[in-house]
Amino acid sequence: MSKKKNQVNTNKKPLGMRIWNNRGFYLMFLPVFIFVLIMYYWPMLGIRYSFFVYKGRDIHWIGLQHFQSMFMEPEFWTAFRNTLVISIVKLLLNTFVAVVISIFLNEMTSLFCKKFVQTVIYLPHFMSYAVVAAIFTLFLSTSSTGMINETLKEWGWIQNSIDFLHSTKLWQPVFYIINLWKETGWGTVIFFATLSGISPDLYEAADIDGATRLQKMRYITLPALANTIIIVLILNIAKVLNIFEPVFVLYNNRVFEVSDVVSTYVYRKTFMTSLPDYGYTTAVGLFKSVVGCMLMLASNWASKKIRGRGII
Amino acid sequence: MADIKEKELTAPVAADETAENVVEAAESAASEPEKKKNVPKINTIEAKHSKIKVFDIINYAVFIILTLIIIIPIWKVISDSFNAVGVYQFRLWPNKPTFGGYATILTTSKLFRPLLNSFITTIAGTLLGLLMATLGGYVLNQYDMPGRSFLSYFLLVTMIFSGGMIPEYLVMKQLGLVDNMWILVLKHGMNVYNLVLMKNFFEGIPASLYEAAKLDGCSPMQIFYKIVLPLSKAALASIGLMFAVTVWNDYSTVQIYITSREQANFQYMLRVMVMDGDTPTTAYKVSQSTLYNAGIVCAILPFMMAYPFLQKYFVTGVNVGAVKE
Repeated sequence: MSKKKNQVNTNKKPLGMRIWNNRGFYLMFLPVFIFVLIMYYWPMLGIRYSFFVYKGRDIHWIGLQHFQSMFMEPEFWTAFRNTLVISIVKLLLNTFVAVVISIFLNEMTSLFCKKFVQTVIYLPHFMSYAVVAAIFTLFLSTSSTGMINETLKEWGWIQNSIDFLHSTKLWQPVFYIINLWKETGWGTVIFFATLSGISPDLYEAADIDGATRLQKMRYITLPALANTIIIVLILNIAKVLNIFEPVFVLYNNRVFEVSDVVSTYVYRKTFMTSLPDYGYTTAVGLFKSVVGCMLMLASNWASKKIRGRGII
Repeated sequence: MADIKEKELTAPVAADETAENVVEAAESAASEPEKKKNVPKINTIEAKHSKIKVFDIINYAVFIILTLIIIIPIWKVISDSFNAVGVYQFRLWPNKPTFGGYATILTTSKLFRPLLNSFITTIAGTLLGLLMATLGGYVLNQYDMPGRSFLSYFLLVTMIFSGGMIPEYLVMKQLGLVDNMWILVLKHGMNVYNLVLMKNFFEGIPASLYEAAKLDGCSPMQIFYKIVLPLSKAALASIGLMFAVTVWNDYSTVQIYITSREQANFQYMLRVMVMDGDTPTTAYKVSQSTLYNAGIVCAILPFMMAYPFLQKYFVTGVNVGAVKE
């Protein structure tokens, strides 16, 4: 890349000529440019509404009052705390299980079995959250067709059906388990890419030194993954505030206190209230975007520090 | 003198002796380690063998359980979708087989329309997404184009910062895209991440090909569709699949922007059906749960069918970006 840049700098042709020579490329970029301008940059102008009251036809300046009322609102802080807890626990849990699975799957001797397991565990990733939520809502239902409750009753483990998705105690664990089911398999893809890059010489050398299998896993495979694990965590930490769909498809008004996240809070305040103040919800969204942006830049910086290139 | 001679005479003998010794020693050294190696080698092999066996058995057992955990819910849904009566407990085979659930979906316009919408938006969204990603990726590779870095920053900013849900909603409202299924296409028509993947892939095409085409008098557009696109079939397949999966599976866009059933996609309809229990009544005598499960199967079927054949492309899509600098 630097080579090409130097070529540009030493290019003797005048700027106008170079622009004219590349006119075909500008023309090709034009659709992308217009599209991005409308779909991404135009909405950014709407951020000004965070300083306005925007109720129906009534739009007037209000200054920073939305932010004041936002920080006073306990419901907002609940949502903010839930966002951090849910996203971070989900991230750590999914990464941890994905690492364990990829290390042990890597030890599998039969190539066919390995491929088969990979094919199967990637599968749930391609289902939408709406589908996964529908599947598990049916399974966990308290009606007579709810498989899990009925089976547990049959085995005599429980007396009465447990309402998994409506219990404030159980909602979060159930949420994590469902997400593990959906995303862990896919999470192993990146670790496998790393594992296939480990030189077999290392394992041979360890064999000659008489290392056991577990020792090889502990001293060769795991350290090789360490860098990738850090990168995965960094990449995802930038997105912790964006969580919307996974929560939205599973939550309900009986478990708001443990499941409401910032995005669902914004959604509810806008689309489920009779006369929404777009200004207030824009302000909440702006707060989320700014914190998200800072997280993104921080993780970009960390990524540059660790692996020499940024994430963006 | 005599001493010296003696020494000289004896020296070769000693030398011979030592040589013999050395050879002997070498021989014994060669044989001894062999013996030594042989004896414990058998032991270690046996020990390792048993260890490997135990480890492998546990490993295989764990992965069999793991695959069952993934497969059983999916299988259960498929099995229940063919079962006419509500299924109780842990039954993995339909006891009263029927196609009524699917027949209901295909004949009830309230359910069939969203399914059709899903197909239309997925195809349109994939095509638009690929068009934008390839055009953008191709232009961003022109390193001697003035303003190239401005254009890439222009795109990168959108990855870091966005207007947020509400300003976007207000803009779409102004554009008349609220309660309009084409919002699904436009929302996913541009994906900067996929564009960068595409650009990275194009970078792998040898520059000499471009130059040769340029010398032959090809315009940038001609180079693009005569050389670049035919050479990037694999990337087009993987990135196209990524777009298709995203559009097909999108539920939140519909939830935010679309209110009427005629414009909704199937994911939304499924959710409304299962969560709110809003089921249409039909001539087919099937239980609610049959219909729900048939709905779930319809929502996952297109990708489940393509998946075993296209898995390669699904996976490379991720790795294209990860490997390339």
